Parts: sequence; C-alpha cells; structure tokens
Amino acid sequence: MPNSRRLSNAASRRHLLLPYVLVAPAVAVLLALSIYPLIYSITVSLQVGDAWSIGNFTRLASDNFFLTAMAHTFVFAVAALSCEFLLGLGLALLLNSQIRGRGFFRATLLVPMMLPPVVAAIVWRLLLNPNFGAINGTLKEIGINTEALTWTASPSLAMMSVIAVDVWQWTPFVFLVLLAGLQAIPQEPYEAALIDGSSRWQTFWHVTLPLLKPAILIVLLLRTMDLLRVFDQIFILTEGGPGFATETISLYIYRSAFRFFDFGYAAAMSFVLLALTNVISVVYIRLLRNESRA
Amino acid sequence: MSRALKYLLLFLSLGVALAPVYWMVTISLKSEVDHFASPPPWFSFTPTLEHYYEAFVTRSFAQYLVTSAIVAVISTLCALILGTLAAYALARFRLPYELDRKLSLWILSTRMFPAIVTAVPLFLMMRDLRLLDTKASLIIVYTAFNLPFVVWMMRGFFDEVPRDLEEAALVDGDSRLGALVRVVLPLVAPGLAATAVFCLIVSWNEFLFALVLTQTDASMTLPVGIAGRVTQYEIKWGVMSAAGAVAIVPILVFAMAMQKYLVRGLSLGAVKG
Repeated sequence: MPNSRRLSNAASRRHLLLPYVLVAPAVAVLLALSIYPLIYSITVSLQVGDAWSIGNFTRLASDNFFLTAMAHTFVFAVAALSCEFLLGLGLALLLNSQIRGRGFFRATLLVPMMLPPVVAAIVWRLLLNPNFGAINGTLKEIGINTEALTWTASPSLAMMSVIAVDVWQWTPFVFLVLLAGLQAIPQEPYEAALIDGSSRWQTFWHVTLPLLKPAILIVLLLRTMDLLRVFDQIFILTEGGPGFATETISLYIYRSAFRFFDFGYAAAMSFVLLALTNVISVVYIRLLRNESRA
Repeated sequence: MSRALKYLLLFLSLGVALAPVYWMVTISLKSEVDHFASPPPWFSFTPTLEHYYEAFVTRSFAQYLVTSAIVAVISTLCALILGTLAAYALARFRLPYELDRKLSLWILSTRMFPAIVTAVPLFLMMRDLRLLDTKASLIIVYTAFNLPFVVWMMRGFFDEVPRDLEEAALVDGDSRLGALVRVVLPLVAPGLAATAVFCLIVSWNEFLFALVLTQTDASMTLPVGIAGRVTQYEIKWGVMSAAGAVAIVPILVFAMAMQKYLVRGLSLGAVKG
C-alpha cells in the first residue's frame, strides 16, 4: 500500500506540473524574442555615445522630422481607416442582402488582402507610373490631361496615393469581418422591427449597428494597429518621399537605425510608437468590454 | 436598392479588386516594347515568358523562392509544436492566481508590438550572435512572431472540444499527452491545418524583418528580392512582375483552401465567422 500511494503522489505531482511543462517552451521563446529585445532596446535608447543619458528622448521633442513623421502617420491612419471602414461596411451590407453567387464575390473580393504587401505595392507602382502606368495611359485615352498627375512622384498627391493603395489592399479585410458579423445576427430583432413598422434606415441604425458593434470594434482595433505601424507598402511605393512627404514613423525609425546607424535614437522613437499603440488598444479593449457587459 | 444596381456595384468592386493584379500579370507576360506602349494594351499583346526566364534562370529569384519556402515551412512547424502544447495547457488546466488567463493575454499582447519596435534590437542581437544574413535568424524570428497567433487560435479550437472525450480516454488509462495526441488532435485537425496555413502566409509575406536581417542572395526571401529590384537605378518591371506573380500563387491556393477559417484567423480568433 505505501508503495502505491507514493507512486500516485508522484503521478499527481507530475500531473500538477504538466501544464507548466507544456507552457514553458512557448513562454521561453517569447521572453527571449519579444521581451528581452524590448529590454535590450531600452538600454540602447538610454545611451548616447558610451554614456548613460536620456538625450535620445529629449531630442524627440525638438526633432521636426520626427514630429512630421508622427503627423503623417496620423493623417495616413485616420484617412485610410475611415475609407476602409465605410467601403468595407458598404460591401458587407451589399453582400449580406439577397445576392446570387455570394461565395464567388466574397472569395474574389478578398484577393488584394492576400497579396504580400510588397507585391501589392509593386502592382500599384506599375499602375501609377506617370510615364507608362495603366492609369494615366487610360485617362489619356479618354481625353484627360495627365501632365499634373504624377501620383507618387508628386509631393501633393503622394500621400493620397499611398492611402489609396492601403484602402485597396485592406478594405477586403474590413468587409470580411463585418460580413461575418452581419451573418451572425439572428433574424428575430429584424422581424420585431418589421412588426414595429420601422423604416429601413431606422432598422439599420437601431438594430444592425448596435448588434454589429463588437465586430466593428475588433476590426477597427486590428486595422488601427496595422495602420500606425505601416511600413512595407510605403517603403516600396515612395520610400517616404518625394522629399519627406510620405515618411511615417516606422520608416523614420528604419532610416535612423539602418541608414544612419543611430540605433539609440531609433529605439527611443520606437518606444513612443509602442506607447501610442498600447494606449489606443487599451481604449478599444475598454470599449469592447463595456460592450460585452451591456 | 434595385437588384441591377446591386450587381453593378458588386461587379465594379470586383473590377477594382482584380484589375490591378491582372495588370501586373500582363506586364510580366509582355515584351519590354509593350510596357511603354500607348494606349496601354490591357488585352491585346503577344505573350512571352522572357521575364520569367530572366527572373528564375538568369537571376537569383529561384533561390529566393526556395529560401522563402524553407523559412516559412520550418518556422511554421516550430510555432505549431510550441504553440499547440501551450494552447492545450491553457485551455485545459486552471492554474492558481488566474495564471492561465493572464498568460494567455500576455502571449497575445506580444503579438501587438509593432514590428519595427522589435526589429531594431533583434538586428543588434542577431549581429552579436553572428546570425545576421542567415536563414536561421529568419526562422527564429518568424517562429516567435507566429507563436502567439498559434496559441490564441489553438486555444479557441481546444475550447470547442468537449472534455468528456478526453476524460473517457484518461479513464481508459491513457496519459494526458496520449489523450491529446490520440483523441483531441484528430478533432482539431482542421483548425490546426488552418492555423498552419495562416503561419505560412504570414511568413511568406513578411518583409520588414527579412529586409533588416538579410543582406545577400544566400538568405534573401522573395519579398526582399523583389523589393531590391525597385530601388535600383534601372527598374526591371518585367522581372519584378514575373517574380510578384509567382509569389502570389501559393498564397491564393492556400487562402482558397481555408476560406472557412479566414475570418477567425484574421481576427486572431475574436470573430468566429
């Protein structure tokens, strides 16, 4: 008897340890490759030359390039997010109605979002090229003067162009999530609204939108995070130019680190970006929590 | 809204979504003379495979393609193994101090870091470890990048498997891990496959880390190889388009194969779709 009890004790201890054993490797990898780099980055950001200093952080406030890059990031994020949300919602509502071949439309509308961002940007460089791009070529065909339309090469049109490319690539994502949200709404509230005699607009405003709110918040959260860190498409389309016209914060950090080898300053800026995305995601998550409580 | 208007809008959106991609494919198939033709030939041109030949035979794009595949497959396998084990533990065991819940949230939060924030220190770390410009560095970084995603997705799939099934297996004398492998994994196999495909796509498409961590043909992935051709003085549009067209193919095949899980994967499991 004592023997078997000792055995079962050992077995149950092993059983208690099992979850930790299973989780440990993943946690170790994340500590080594997500958390340690952050700590490493803090130490790098707190050094100027070989001395400890907060110089990299104080420099931020007076660096006009940094402030401009922040402003560009906001303009880019707000403009792209609004367009993607409105277009994505419109498409989702359209496909949620009685449509033949919904599966076909849904699948093909998703193509832009699946492309590697680098390839999506190449696609648009081919289209927007002022000399032989298909857009100006086609506009010329129908009699429009395209001389001023130099798109990514023009300081005034470049930002609009990179926003348009992002909207093209990521509206499908918003559409897909919102369509899933719409299809998860049960029929009963609509039937009740019909009986109450509410108009289509009232039904949309008082039934659809409130029930869709969790999906909306999730998709806005995910898009906002991606938009604030945007790098790939702009790097390929304009490299932040012409001049500084489309330089966003990720590009400026990249340039500081890997062109000017100012790793300390790049690290300092990356913490501003990290803080910013954290604050914004906390706001969204609060809203989501209130939503699930209500 | 009338039916006709609905379909008109839908086909218009379809055109906007697909025409740009179609245009790139035509550029990859047109001889250089046709690239600069005015009006731009959308449909009538004589197709040629010269750019594909130049990209994949004369230049190094075949090598980039192989590197991309190796890095994507190995990092996906590593993330799946580590992530599935962790997800199983987090789905099935209640740990003291709500540790299971806190760990899950912490793991998810590491996924939310903007890539550029970790790219700078990871470059310095890889430099210290003399791993710059190796496939190993990319495999390591992509494993860590995909890991939170795997944990979060698989935890959701495990939650959907009734506990009774495993408990029956445990009563029959299976060990916990035996029950996981024999009973639970077969049930979550579709979810596991979808998760794997997502990791493959993410690694295949990834650009910033690959740009920062690789320098030579020996370790460049396809996106970096393509991007490298943009910033040169003379841009080879045909070659770039050919490489771009090839880069798209596996992604589209994969995406179509797992449409059912697309919403769930893209929203990190937040919307069940």
